[in-house]
Parts: sequence; structure tokens; C-alpha cells
Amino acid sequence: MENIEIGKYGRSFGLSFAITCLFSVILLILKETNQHTVMAWMKAATTHHWITHTLLDVIVFVVLGVVFAKMNDGQGIKISPDRLNSFIVGAFVISGILIAGFYLVIG
Amino acid sequence: MNYFTLMAHAVLGSLLGLAGVWFFVDVLNAKEENQGRIRIMSLIILGLMWLTYLLAGYFYVIHYSADKTLVLKGPWPFAHDFFMESKEHVVMMLLLLATYLPIIAHNNLTVNKGARKVVLWATGLLVLTTVAMEGAGAIISMGVRVSLLPK
Repeated sequence: MENIEIGKYGRSFGLSFAITCLFSVILLILKETNQHTVMAWMKAATTHHWITHTLLDVIVFVVLGVVFAKMNDGQGIKISPDRLNSFIVGAFVISGILIAGFYLVIG
Repeated sequence: MNYFTLMAHAVLGSLLGLAGVWFFVDVLNAKEENQGRIRIMSLIILGLMWLTYLLAGYFYVIHYSADKTLVLKGPWPFAHDFFMESKEHVVMMLLLLATYLPIIAHNNLTVNKGARKVVLWATGLLVLTTVAMEGAGAIISMGVRVSLLPK
């Protein structure tokens, strides 16, 4: 099996996914600890904070993915497969732990 | 109808887990012959995840508040405070992970060792998290049920 480079969209949206996971956790902590400002705005924006949260996550994921894909004269962001994998797995696991930990403490 | 959407999301979530296992095994045995099936399976996972998410989201946003009140007044308030709150945010990452799968699976996984490794890890996380979400869903349902038991 050859070790060839991952396509530019695979690299770009993979990195975008990792960043969006962390963005989502930061937004979660911000909205839960700022009920009268951030949470109130998120509820007002779409009638429910969860819908706004989902939309913001999807927008960040898509926008970052497209931006990363356009970097380096359209060749996409440069990142090795091992590093990309570490970012994806690391961000997912850390975000999951932070979410569960936050509600374990707050709940 | 409310509870039809609730049960449909649980069933589709289970199918998502099964599809994830199928996909994982197919990628583990990636050959030129199953490249097409791998890409189709990644799209099926994408479709199942979005359908599950939308059905669950519909129930959560429109109908869950009555159940939430019951759970919080019952003997298992943690079913909402911890499991529901965690679940509703972890599935956001699951949604994006399932959306990413067809993008990375578009590479030729027979020859591209790096892409194959990323797909296997992402699918492993997807399957394990799906199982965890099914378990959390069961605990939330039980939280409603024990709140209705005579005291």
C-alpha cells in the first residue's frame, strides 16, 4: 500500500472538523455561563439555542473547510495524514470529555 | 406522532451504528473492487445521521419540554442534567463527523494509507459514540418512566 497524500478536501475539512469541535465546546460553555446574554441571543436568533448552536457549528465547519481548501493557491492546507488524524481524534475526544465534564460539574 | 419521531430516531440511530460497523469492516478490507461500495456506505451513513438528527431535533425542540419537567421532578434528574445535556451537544460533533466521512472516503482507500487510517479512526469514534448515545437515550427514557411510578 502506497503512502500518498490525502486529497485537499479531506485535509481541509478534517482540520475544519477538529477546530469546529473545539469551537462547539467553547460556545457551549459560553452560552451556559452567560444565560442572559449569549444564551438569550441564541434563543432569540432561531427560537431555540440548540438550533442556533447547530447552525453555527455547520457554518464554521463549511466556511473553514472551504477557506483551508483555497489556501496555497488552491492546493489546500498542508498537513500530514498522521497529524490530521491526531487533530481529528484529539479534538473529538477532548470535546467529548469537556462536554461531559462540564455537565457533571454544572448538572 | 410525537413518539413515532422519538422511536424512529432511536431505530435510525441503531441503523447508523450498524452501518458504521459495516463501513469499518469494508474499509479495513479496502480493495479496488469495494471502493464503490465504501463510498456508497459513507453516503448512507451521512443520510442516516442527518435523518436521525433532524427527527431527534424535532422531538427535542417541539415536544421534549414536557418530558424534561417530569424527569427533573422525578428520582432521576441526572437523566436530563447530565445525559440529555451531554447528548444534545455530543451529537453535534457526530453530525459533522458523519458529514466528513464521504469527503475523506472519496480518496482511494486501497492505495492511500493516510486516508484509510483517518477513515478507520473517524468511523471507530462514530460507532462508539453512537452506541453511547443509544445508551444515554435509554437512560433519559427511563428517567421519564421512573418519574411516573407511584410514590
